[in-house]
Amino acid sequence: MTRRDFLTKWFIYALALLPVWFLEVYVLSRLKFFGVSPMLLPVAAVTVAVLEGSAAGGAFGLAVGVICDAVYHTNGAMTLGMTLLGAGTGIIAQYGVRQSLAGCLACSAGALVIIDLCRVVWRLAAGVAPLQVLLGVALPEVLYSLVLVPLVYLVFRWVHNRTQFATLF
Amino acid sequence: MKDFFRHNGILILVIAVLLALITLVVTAFTGGVAAPISNAVNVITTPVRNGLNSLVNWVEGIYDYSFQYDQLLAENEQLKKRIAEMEEEIRQAESANTENDRFRNLLNFQTKHKEFQMEPATVTAAGASNWESTFTISKGTSSGVEPDDCVVDEYGNFVGIITEAGLNWSTVTTLIDTDIELGGLIGRTDGAAILEGDFTLMGQGRLKLSYLPENTELVAGDEVLTSGKGGVYPSGLVVGAIESVHTDVSGMSRYAVVKPAADLDDLQQVFVIKAFDIVE
Repeated sequence: MTRRDFLTKWFIYALALLPVWFLEVYVLSRLKFFGVSPMLLPVAAVTVAVLEGSAAGGAFGLAVGVICDAVYHTNGAMTLGMTLLGAGTGIIAQYGVRQSLAGCLACSAGALVIIDLCRVVWRLAAGVAPLQVLLGVALPEVLYSLVLVPLVYLVFRWVHNRTQFATLF
Repeated sequence: MKDFFRHNGILILVIAVLLALITLVVTAFTGGVAAPISNAVNVITTPVRNGLNSLVNWVEGIYDYSFQYDQLLAENEQLKKRIAEMEEEIRQAESANTENDRFRNLLNFQTKHKEFQMEPATVTAAGASNWESTFTISKGTSSGVEPDDCVVDEYGNFVGIITEAGLNWSTVTTLIDTDIELGGLIGRTDGAAILEGDFTLMGQGRLKLSYLPENTELVAGDEVLTSGKGGVYPSGLVVGAIESVHTDVSGMSRYAVVKPAADLDDLQQVFVIKAFDIVE
């Protein structure tokens, strides 16, 4: 793969991330179901990791994590967390999960549960609220996000099918 | 796993750790001024945010007109009645004011009034996180907006506090968020208490009034204002009304649930109080 192919491919992936990002932050944040809005940015990182493998997943997770920190006000935690999740998902996808919607759903479910588990444990430790109240936010959030996984998967699968060059970081 | 390490995986991890550390340190030391990366992300996306916000508002307007027309008509009728009642109240207040001025002159009392330096701003995005209650506005440090400035709606009701200020955007943490804690004053009894966000109540759009003064009988509907104690936030801003009074789990103290006066779900225009002064 030439350098130009490489840049073109990731430029298209970055472009594909924009509608997902804007949909989550500027549209779906106003359309709440059961009092919650979905998390699409982590799903985007996981989807790319499933399709492209660990190194590419880690790098894309890093970029998504930076955006997540700006969006969720997480002070750097999402930058590191999404990089690890992207790389971890890529490794799992390379060895244990098929590059399909089902595989993407399974990995997204795992990633979303890990993210919300961290949030719940952090708030439990800080005494912010009892467990059942925290789960009352976490569970609908994960479920609502999972409903939208096929949409995100379709976007990135489309990009993947049209830019099937080997990914070497 | 080998692929990850062979293809610059370590380098990616090192960059992630460094970026996370830089963001953490910068956020900790800048005291509410947006970190460079966060500032850049939000400045670059400002045109998109403004455009999408206008589009979503337009669609919502059409939806309201199409599907909630009867409801809007009923609301309009109610508001007309409320305006008539308020006009009567204003007439009575004007008469009371004149009388008050006469007494002040008689007793040589000085009048007090508040002077606010306000900056109008548009709400450009709702908070995307379900774990906090925030929104983004269209003004930032370039307009003189700073962290800890108070934000009110068009009726002067307290909405929240600026917690992160970027170049042409700011994040407002609303009064129901768990990070909020400020002095409150019960209008009818003049009793001081503490207003604080509570995660359980945040989902219901309510907040808590804690450390209630002993032997104070509170009534649902009692107005709660900011006390202004400490001088960080102005006094007398309307926070909301007491909805109910409860005893906490320990059974030792009471707290009240307050319904905010500002409609936090439907804010489009807000005003940032950049500076305030009590003039005598």
